[in-house]
Amino acid sequence: MSMRKKILATLLAMTMAIGMLAGCGGGSSSGSSDAPASSDSGSADAGSTDGAADTSKEVNLVMYVISDRPAGQDVVDENLNKLLKEKLNCTLTINWIGWAEYANKYPLLFSSGEEFDIAYCATWLNFANLARRGAFKSLDELLPTYAPDNYALQSQTALQQATIDGHIYAVPTLLPTYITYGSIYRGDLAKEAGMTDTIDTWEEVEQFGDWIKANHPEMEVIDEYSSGPELSLVWERMAGNYEIDSGNRYIFYDPSEEEPKVFAIYDDPTIGDFYEMCYRFGEKGFWSKSALSDTDSSKTQNGKAAIRFHNVDTWSGYTVLHPEWDFQYGVMTSEIAHLPYTQDCMVISNTSKNPERAMMFWNLLTTDQEVYDALYYGVLGTTYELNEEGQFTILDTDLYSTSAMWAARTFDLNRNQAGVPESYDTMRAEWEEQIQDGVGIEKYTGFVLDTTNITTEIANCQNVRQQYGWPLELGYTDPVAGLEEYKQKLQEAGIEKVLEECQKQLDAYRTSLG
Amino acid sequence: MKFFKGFAEEFKRNRALFAMAAPAFILVLVMQYFPMTGLVLAFKNYRYDMGVFGSPWNGLANFRYLFASGTGWLITRNTILYNLLNLITSQLLAVLIAIFITEINNMIFKKVTQSIILLPYFISWVVVGVFVYNLFNFETGMMNGVLKAMGMDPVNMYGIPGAWPVIICLFNAWKWTGYNSVIYIAAITGVDGEIYEAASIDGATIFQRILYITLPSIRPTLVTMILLQVGRILRGDFEMFYQIVGNNGQLFNATDVIDTYVFRSLITNPDIGMTAAATFYQSVLCFVIIMVVNAVVKRIDEDYALF
Amino acid sequence: MAKEKEIVAPRKIKLSTSSKVFYVICYTIVTLMTIVCLVPFILLVSGSFTAENWIRFHGYGLIPGEFSLEAYKIIFKTPERIIRAYGVSIMITLIGVAIGLLLTALTAYVISRKDFKYRNALSFFFYFTTLFNGGMVSTYIYYIQYLHLKDSYLALILPMVFNVFYLLIMRTFVNNIPVALIESAKLDGAGEWRIFFTIILPLLQSGLATIGLFLALGYWNDWYNAMLYMNTEAKYPLQYMLYSIQQQAQALARIASQAGISVQDLPSSSLKMAMAVVATGPIVILYPFVQKYFVAGITIGSVKG
Repeated sequence: MSMRKKILATLLAMTMAIGMLAGCGGGSSSGSSDAPASSDSGSADAGSTDGAADTSKEVNLVMYVISDRPAGQDVVDENLNKLLKEKLNCTLTINWIGWAEYANKYPLLFSSGEEFDIAYCATWLNFANLARRGAFKSLDELLPTYAPDNYALQSQTALQQATIDGHIYAVPTLLPTYITYGSIYRGDLAKEAGMTDTIDTWEEVEQFGDWIKANHPEMEVIDEYSSGPELSLVWERMAGNYEIDSGNRYIFYDPSEEEPKVFAIYDDPTIGDFYEMCYRFGEKGFWSKSALSDTDSSKTQNGKAAIRFHNVDTWSGYTVLHPEWDFQYGVMTSEIAHLPYTQDCMVISNTSKNPERAMMFWNLLTTDQEVYDALYYGVLGTTYELNEEGQFTILDTDLYSTSAMWAARTFDLNRNQAGVPESYDTMRAEWEEQIQDGVGIEKYTGFVLDTTNITTEIANCQNVRQQYGWPLELGYTDPVAGLEEYKQKLQEAGIEKVLEECQKQLDAYRTSLG
Repeated sequence: MKFFKGFAEEFKRNRALFAMAAPAFILVLVMQYFPMTGLVLAFKNYRYDMGVFGSPWNGLANFRYLFASGTGWLITRNTILYNLLNLITSQLLAVLIAIFITEINNMIFKKVTQSIILLPYFISWVVVGVFVYNLFNFETGMMNGVLKAMGMDPVNMYGIPGAWPVIICLFNAWKWTGYNSVIYIAAITGVDGEIYEAASIDGATIFQRILYITLPSIRPTLVTMILLQVGRILRGDFEMFYQIVGNNGQLFNATDVIDTYVFRSLITNPDIGMTAAATFYQSVLCFVIIMVVNAVVKRIDEDYALF
Repeated sequence: MAKEKEIVAPRKIKLSTSSKVFYVICYTIVTLMTIVCLVPFILLVSGSFTAENWIRFHGYGLIPGEFSLEAYKIIFKTPERIIRAYGVSIMITLIGVAIGLLLTALTAYVISRKDFKYRNALSFFFYFTTLFNGGMVSTYIYYIQYLHLKDSYLALILPMVFNVFYLLIMRTFVNNIPVALIESAKLDGAGEWRIFFTIILPLLQSGLATIGLFLALGYWNDWYNAMLYMNTEAKYPLQYMLYSIQQQAQALARIASQAGISVQDLPSSSLKMAMAVVATGPIVILYPFVQKYFVAGITIGSVKG
């Protein structure tokens, strides 16, 4: 008797479970039909109220950022929410996706159906791919209607980068960053070596390297580790060639040409010289023969290596840390342009119930110094202090940190960290002057490669680059035979198709500019 | 109909057994089988706004990258060879160590060694990777330090792909021997002590005892362990390969397994469908292999089969 | 109860030469194996106490080249959270092992019963899940949306509580129990449940100890489920707490180049080592207490009587 009951219960549980499974299917599909509908109604509302912000209802916005929650974040949240309540009748809950989990969890965030409003996004988080696959709400209406001040500050290029398949899916950062790979090197040692000119050519790198090898044999000359060399990128950029896409650094084009032709790295006539040079550097022991298994990414920062090729922000960070080493920066990029503004951007989740308020919040955040400071630096006197020049210092780095919502930074509101050398600002001012909208490489920063039709080939080429390109670049393989092999493997991987597709898209982009 | 009748009869006869298996059955059904609907992702172009079921089908497109330019075969072969090698070495060593440890009379020695050989299990592959690098690093590695001290030329291990299957296999055995030996020690200690006593009174030598009592006692366990490993022969211990080999392209032809290849291919353009496709491919191959092996084992001795 | 029944070579008989040779080989190999397993662990402990820059320039040694507590300072910066994480891990492990052992033993018993018609079908039902799984995406969505496991301790317990590998290993232990015992109990009128709890379970002790150990190690070392499903730091188990502390330390460097700010140098290598020490320490200390089940083993003969 009792046994029969148990079995019945079991069977019941199973049917329920199966029902749930069926519901799972229905649920997710109905959810998907819901989503666009609600966004439509959102924009309809926008039309009727004509952007007149209705903030009578208090809402709590949920924002996801990628970082670990600082221990003292409560103080920051409290202060910020008081401010937001006052100005916008809303509160903000910041959810953190830790560095330990972001690679897995970030894409899942958009699959799980969880309701939230705002998320940090970036090119390195595959913004374009996620947008194309329907993770975000379209901002075509929301941005101009509810964040008009922010919208007014956006450049055409930035909006273009945020546009995927004809819709705006992100609010790009308003703080320009730059395509400027260069050499970050030890100024104190360069002085010792008698090299007073900025080290920004390969000859100078080699000369400095030889001196380091002779006088500081315990050091590595060039900082290389397991994430792979970027020497070829520097080489190409010095020659005025730019990579088609940050994920595909083996396909380049010259933006100064009238009708730029994309080409594979092996078709650069100078590339043979480059690999010869790499081989020579390798033989001289400029980097470890085991560099690709070395996971230490802070060798330059800690005095183990003398030169690192990286961006200007890395350099300014090093300078603050070790002023005594007098880190110098030699730009090794022929023409400076802005990095894609989607490098840091803000997206609205498909599941957001309050996209209008979220956009209003964003508008406020990116135009109001008080709110910006409260989010980005915290509470003046408690979490940070400012010096006379308005540069900030975080007071207790164990407890507090600057915000991880890097997309909120704007050129006007952002502050430098105390200790950043003056040359950082003068350099940036110089670059801003050089850059001309719609000219040279700047013309192409709005280009976003759509990899939909070539996913297979890209995946394979990516593999080949790691397997054959990196060892070649570090001089582990014979420069001539290695290049032949690299070329052959890339071709087997289908690079011709990738090139063709890149060319097609680049041409289309160029014509769209008129 | 016939099935239901048979089921009803069996249920009547063994309802207690049904009830005993029910909790695990339901748990596995709910926790494992229901999410299996995700297998369709391998054949879909996944869209976040449409979910698992609403996303459009895209045939076999997700599988193409695995087999383009002939790598599919290489990585499949590597995966199987590595697993076979690891299976043989780690299980053999575990059996050997288990037999030796149970034969040891000194209780303190026995306890201490048994604890210590379990230590490697706790050292994560990340840390192992750090040690491997410090061992074989060309410029400052310990191995070359020793070689140089002995007046010999340093060796660039990262330039010799052929050495790495051996290195990986050794580290794998090192990490798992202690863990696996626990099972065998337990199996041996499960044997009736009287049998051993009887054997020694009959004048059996130590070898005879091992051969005729110990080994047969662990045979079922050994067969089960081997079958379980064979059933995952297409899976690689991703962490192990990734942490030991790192991004060293020179070694890939000798060290690439399916999981590392997939990881590398998709690192810049993560794709849920393509990841699912790789897993599906592994699953199907594992399925075919284990069905065949299990059927063969069943013909030889039904008791040893997995199912 | 069975202390004297340990499997030891009877000493009454004088050792023959071949036995002597055997013991020489036996002790040598076990000693070698022990050293090979011990040395890296010593390197690890020593590395955790070594200054980061010393490691960067000189590598690891059996004793710290330049003593430093930096790594431990980072881990124990807020000791409460580590202590709480220990608490979570212990709780998860105890509950998981208890439920897991019961489930595994029950099920293993059923699928080893030769008179159970569906035992192969059932084994296959379980085994199939090791071959095919829904993948991370659909499992995650399903667990969160339909089972509501987000931030629940169940998310740490349920996914690992029943492991098919353990089930099949357990079956080999159950198979060792003579069928005659069950038959005679049945003749005496004992029901299935009573047979299981009074006859089978006591005889399964070495199997239970083995699987219990594996379950415990699995729970203790798990960080993956915590990574996917836990949001509240107070609910993190130890391994994930340590992992996230370490990732934070590494990520700061990334933030630096991302946001143009500077960060202090954090000891990444020695931190990894210290993490392992903190996580493994308690187990290494506890293990000898559990070990008696493997060394002595409860033999069938002793229970029969």
